[in-house]
Amino acid sequence: MMSPSAPAAWMRIRGITKSFAGELALDHADLSIERGKVHGLVGANGAGKSTLIRCLAGVTTPDEGEVAVNGEILPLGSPRASERAGLAFIHQELNLVPHFSALQNMLLGAPKVTRLGIIDWRRSGVAARAAAERIGIRFPLETRVCELSVAQRWLVMIGKALARDASMIAMDEPTASLSEPESEQLFAIIRDLSAQGVAILYVSHRLEEVLQLCDRITVLRDGRVVSEAQRGALDKKGLVQAIIGHAVRAPDERGRFAADRRRQPIFSARRIVWKHAVKDVSLDVYEGEVLALGGLVGAGRTEFAHLVAGLNQPDSGEFALEGRRFNPASVADAVRAGVALAPEERRSQGVMLQRSVGFNINIATLEKLRNVAGLPFVSGAKAKRQADRLIVRLRIKTAGADAKIAGLSGGNQQKALIARWLGAGVKLLILDEPSRGVDVGAREEIHDAIRALARSGVGILVISSDVEELALLADRVLVMHEGRISGELAGAEITEARIIELSYHDVGEARRQQGDAA
Amino acid sequence: MTAGGIAAAKGAEGLRKSAWKRTALIWLSRYGTILGLLLMILFFSINAPGIFLSRANFLNILSQASLTAIIASGLTCTLVVGEFDLSIGYVASFVGLIVTGLMAYEGLPIWLSIVGALALGAGIGILNGLLVTKVRINAVISTLGVGTMLTGLGFTYSAFPIATGIPRAFTNISLGRLVFGMPNPVIIMVVVLLALWVILNKTDIGQKMQAVGSNMEAARLSGIRVDRIKIFAFAVAGFCAAMTGTLLSSLLGSGTLAAADGYLLDAFAAVFLGSATLREGEFHIVGTLVGVLILAVGFNGLSIFGAPTHFQPIFKGGILILAVGMSALARRYAASA
Repeated sequence: MMSPSAPAAWMRIRGITKSFAGELALDHADLSIERGKVHGLVGANGAGKSTLIRCLAGVTTPDEGEVAVNGEILPLGSPRASERAGLAFIHQELNLVPHFSALQNMLLGAPKVTRLGIIDWRRSGVAARAAAERIGIRFPLETRVCELSVAQRWLVMIGKALARDASMIAMDEPTASLSEPESEQLFAIIRDLSAQGVAILYVSHRLEEVLQLCDRITVLRDGRVVSEAQRGALDKKGLVQAIIGHAVRAPDERGRFAADRRRQPIFSARRIVWKHAVKDVSLDVYEGEVLALGGLVGAGRTEFAHLVAGLNQPDSGEFALEGRRFNPASVADAVRAGVALAPEERRSQGVMLQRSVGFNINIATLEKLRNVAGLPFVSGAKAKRQADRLIVRLRIKTAGADAKIAGLSGGNQQKALIARWLGAGVKLLILDEPSRGVDVGAREEIHDAIRALARSGVGILVISSDVEELALLADRVLVMHEGRISGELAGAEITEARIIELSYHDVGEARRQQGDAA
Repeated sequence: MTAGGIAAAKGAEGLRKSAWKRTALIWLSRYGTILGLLLMILFFSINAPGIFLSRANFLNILSQASLTAIIASGLTCTLVVGEFDLSIGYVASFVGLIVTGLMAYEGLPIWLSIVGALALGAGIGILNGLLVTKVRINAVISTLGVGTMLTGLGFTYSAFPIATGIPRAFTNISLGRLVFGMPNPVIIMVVVLLALWVILNKTDIGQKMQAVGSNMEAARLSGIRVDRIKIFAFAVAGFCAAMTGTLLSSLLGSGTLAAADGYLLDAFAAVFLGSATLREGEFHIVGTLVGVLILAVGFNGLSIFGAPTHFQPIFKGGILILAVGMSALARRYAASA
């Protein structure tokens, strides 16, 4: 059906540009993809990988640029046109219907053979079964997807693509939820497919994998293609350098706070394990410092934060707060003990949008605002005073404490959330992505507020995927990789380059290699 | 004037017009229900001055409204925390039957029967709350299930109305006029509404209820024990339903199966009418009171004009859709204008 020597540059992507709210996500990206080759696509968080994939899939319409498949211009912004051109996309979430069988899922959306309006599954399934054979699916296709392993689900998705005669399959972080043998199995299938003339676009954070598997590697940075390399032309170090770029920001002149680490830490975690997301994390938060957790999305940082804040309970390991054991069974327990989380999803988990700024600030401290300590009546005057005081202190831009918080900018909403915990007198405040979706000016104000909190004796743990933010804000950075802490940076060591390098540093593998050598 | 100037002037005028329209629409979406209530009172006063516009009739309207207002204000609490309670009508019927049974069959004193009845109502509410928060059954299903079971349990307890052996003093509770010549149920309504208004607006548990209703995850992360707050709201709803049921038995002088089932729909109608009042789609006690009064004045007017009783549900359903629909439309136009 396909010859391995398909014409070169089967797909040409030229000058694809896309901006969101004035921010360039893709800046004249060029790429060519050949059949029978595995193309790697790498880049840091926010480099533009997903936007590029979404443009190809027709889910996002680019502002500029064109894509030609087999010499024909592909109409952009139409998922149907992309599918018809032979492009298939497998996203990390695997869009499968759990209660449908593998076969039903493979045929979802494809034209089916019907007789008097009733689907003839046997005849419809011919192409799907042929595809299943091609990639060596051994389980019966009648199995419901919810009964399949993640690896088997990947096979279903690949089979689905092949059943539609896909000439290119894009895979987003395929090994993120696969075990090592399962990954190996997937690689074998990818090599097979590419030998059969299918083009593979392989997106992954795992650089070893990319280096090992891909015939060509494209590196995106800030929406631009910064490097294109053939297999063997780049090693891991070179790849990391390309991902970071050479223009590494000079270390901050502000100087970083060096906490007195002989003193008792405000908070410590010892050998925390939770499911497969957090594997043996230990850390200490000292008075006065801003400690940050860096790493890639999915490294287990948010999961760790949720354990500290009492949303989930660790499988093993211990926390201590001011030297005392601390095992929160619920968020309310954690808050009572003095540990609070300002969550990543500000709008859906942080603020109460229909309520006033004052309500949002005071909600965690109602007991303190009572008229008489023993009676449950909240003093309106005390509430107003506390809200006004915090609004001034954090420079929250609002018409007043009674204004609805929905009318505030993202940065000011975030400041109101910090105010909520400032008023509550917490001992440890965890801020998950504190400046996401916030403009530069507001970000600086948020950083100032966080630093001021730290200096005033509150333990601060910041989680951020924004390397620049980590370098600007943190006094000490712990970088996580796949559930483990892969390194610690302090003082002048905190640079964007070092953080990114550690983000890709596989501690588990390093340990295994050490074990082999020994 | 140049063509461009004319166009600009027209544009500015259009802008002024749309701004005016927007203000009017926002005003309508907030005060539309109150305006409707006043118009209704005005209409009946003009067309039936002698009958409608009298102290006796107004007291009659308030008496009728009081039982609905009490059960509806309890329902308001569950809606404030973002849940539903479909059992309240059945709770009222069940408790209304039990309270008479406690006096007539078990020979308990009146006060103890009433305390027992209210506690039973609150207990059923707590059960609802536990099913919703701990077992995590959808509130619609769990409260419907509990309510349906109560119907059967009531039948098991007494298949026939309990009419004999009820002390006179019990029926006098709803017939008496202890304060300012106001019927007692009206006084009780005022006390209940006031208490719930204070709880919702002036206490920390009330603020927490509102927080849970506006964003449950944010409330949880603020250290609020969301489950407890919800259980409390269900308990209040059960307690208020029990109070309405008890008052109804006192008013009827008997405990009758399914006597108060109809209050479920009245309460929902009133609470949703109220949510379109003053605030935008939020449930609150003042709004609920306005909703109850709209229904009571409407029913009263219909009966004065001799409309057949089957007009009542038509009126009830119609006014609910009209009021809530109008305010939703007004809000949407205001947002887009």
